[in-house]
Amino acid sequence: MADSSSEEHGDESTWVFYKDRPTWKDVTPVPQDDGPYPVVAIAYSEKFRDVYDYFRAVLKSKEKSERALKLTKDALDLNPANYTVWQYRRELLKSLNSDLAEELRYVWQMIEDNPKNYQVWHHCRVIVDWMQDPSKELVLTEAILEQDAKNYHAWQHRQWVVRTFNLYDQELEFVSRLIESDIRNNSAWNQRYFVINNTTLFTPEVIEREVNYTLEKIKIATFNESAWNYLRGVLEQQENGLAGKDNLVKKFCEELLDTSEKGKTKSPYLLAYVVDLLEESMGRGEDVPQNLEKALEICKSLSSTHDTIRREYWNYISQSLEKKFKKGNDAEEMAVS
Amino acid sequence: MPSSSPVDMKLAKCKHVKYFLRNLKLMPARASSYDSTRLALAFFCISGLDILKSLDVFDEAERKSTIDWIYGLLVEPISPERGDDWDRCGFMGSSTFKFATDGSNEPSPYSSGHLTMTYTGLATLLILGDDLSRVNRRALSAGVRALQQENGSFCASLEGSENDMRFVYCAAAVCYILQDWSGMDVQKAVNYILNSISYDYGFGEGPDLEAHGGTTYCAVAALSLMGQLETCLSSKQLNGLRRWCISRQMSGFQGRPNKPVDTCYSFWVGATLKLLGVYHLIDYDQNKELLLSSQDSTIGGFSKWVDSDPDPMHTFLGLGGLALMSDEDLEEVHPGLNMSERALSHLHSIHKKWMS
Repeated sequence: MADSSSEEHGDESTWVFYKDRPTWKDVTPVPQDDGPYPVVAIAYSEKFRDVYDYFRAVLKSKEKSERALKLTKDALDLNPANYTVWQYRRELLKSLNSDLAEELRYVWQMIEDNPKNYQVWHHCRVIVDWMQDPSKELVLTEAILEQDAKNYHAWQHRQWVVRTFNLYDQELEFVSRLIESDIRNNSAWNQRYFVINNTTLFTPEVIEREVNYTLEKIKIATFNESAWNYLRGVLEQQENGLAGKDNLVKKFCEELLDTSEKGKTKSPYLLAYVVDLLEESMGRGEDVPQNLEKALEICKSLSSTHDTIRREYWNYISQSLEKKFKKGNDAEEMAVS
Repeated sequence: MPSSSPVDMKLAKCKHVKYFLRNLKLMPARASSYDSTRLALAFFCISGLDILKSLDVFDEAERKSTIDWIYGLLVEPISPERGDDWDRCGFMGSSTFKFATDGSNEPSPYSSGHLTMTYTGLATLLILGDDLSRVNRRALSAGVRALQQENGSFCASLEGSENDMRFVYCAAAVCYILQDWSGMDVQKAVNYILNSISYDYGFGEGPDLEAHGGTTYCAVAALSLMGQLETCLSSKQLNGLRRWCISRQMSGFQGRPNKPVDTCYSFWVGATLKLLGVYHLIDYDQNKELLLSSQDSTIGGFSKWVDSDPDPMHTFLGLGGLALMSDEDLEEVHPGLNMSERALSHLHSIHKKWMS
């Protein structure tokens, strides 16, 4: 980058300390005052100490200059998490009327180098907001997501851009592509929900489309919690309950259960879904004794075979269901209410 | 029922004590990216020593000098009567930008509190047995209030930062510690939390964002500290949330569906389950085994993943994760404030004094 001072002054071997730079000889460095008994002191490098001594001096004198802007870059290279340096840099950008397109290129380089750092993403958001130009953000977040498809910061930034600048147009397509390449990418499933919830909303047509889409994905990977959670989330947006319109989802689950190979572990998410379906039916007073028996049996199989790490949880669910629906408890419940 | 994989590993307690002491003394140059949040590192180490029941490694002089160092990071009003600069009040994370005021009436430039540092600063003082008498509580509350945003969430500092669920939790923890809820518009904060519940019943950093173990902890613990956990969520939401949290256990815990387990979620998700009253339903043996295998028995410390480098945060949270299982060697941890029950009862005795 053109104004990188590390380029001007060379790499580690040829690095010139600020204290040795003629262009800075008018500034008196301000050493850090860590008190007589510092705790968790850091063994700063000489370079770190030098850069921050000069940065403190600049902060104290409130110097607004190009050389101060270059100094923030060196300070941020040494600690990209220093939010005060970023804030001062923003003030410098404003007062120097700097080229923001250049700044955006710089911050994206910083994001590339520090993709999980909160401060770089925040800076990026502020710059995009100042410029009111989101034209590169979708491509750039996509590049970060190619390296780590679940990077929370990238998704958060992307959602902000999409929402703020109304860039929903291609987003569902993008999400579908990511789900194609990794069906277990929970972040992508979440983005799918976000797009629909902020555009078409969950109309009956959209729900039908999404249910079919999700059932297709579940067929491919029945042990994929992300798809099951999404299915439930979508179905809770309509009135037919977890069974879906015309019991479509209920039938799907029954079929899936029937075709699961005997003796093999069944998807705990499928079984959990069936327990919830049965509970829903019982809530409507349908075939309570039979449905309860079925539900308890499934809880038992989850606990003993298919989801043993959660055995205590399934015992607890089993007990709760029994308490709620066992014959004889009805009278008691009515008396209480 | 006997466990299929007996836990025969032992907690390398002495090594972890030494690990924390080493970090408290001096961190390597590569820790420079933590330079602005050193107070949080001090909290991890000192609270970790507390959980290890080893605070007696500090003699009285060390305890006092540590307390003084923490108070040295407190940004106080220039003039307590004026009240016009209380927005800045709170703890800074380090002395990097601590300037001598030279007796001037102007606040020193860029000195203002950071919410996470205010929470960890107060917590560390309590753990060390300080009575918070040097804290101007009203000014500190005003400093918290100044960071609340229109949507109910909080920024970290006046100097421009992102706003999200992490800082909602820190704000709630500070208000609870100070017993002064004038530090926030509680209803607005509750609304922000409720708007951040996801379709799968976990909580994200904010509305529309993916549910996450860390942010779910922040949301649930904040509601709990506000005394709103049982009242503002429906039983359907509570049951969904319990299911979401319990589903995070894979051996230890993962932070999101289809992600690998990570030591810290044994605490974040574990503590959430405790606040939701269903922690006893997890598989203790598998959780313990994962945690113990992520400790470094040679140099001490816990790492994020088995066989990677330990760090103070994962060491503190790994120990917190073990302490939630009521390990006899460890101090009991309060899931809402993320400090020992011992330190919490000290806080409650301070609260009594404030009220009388």
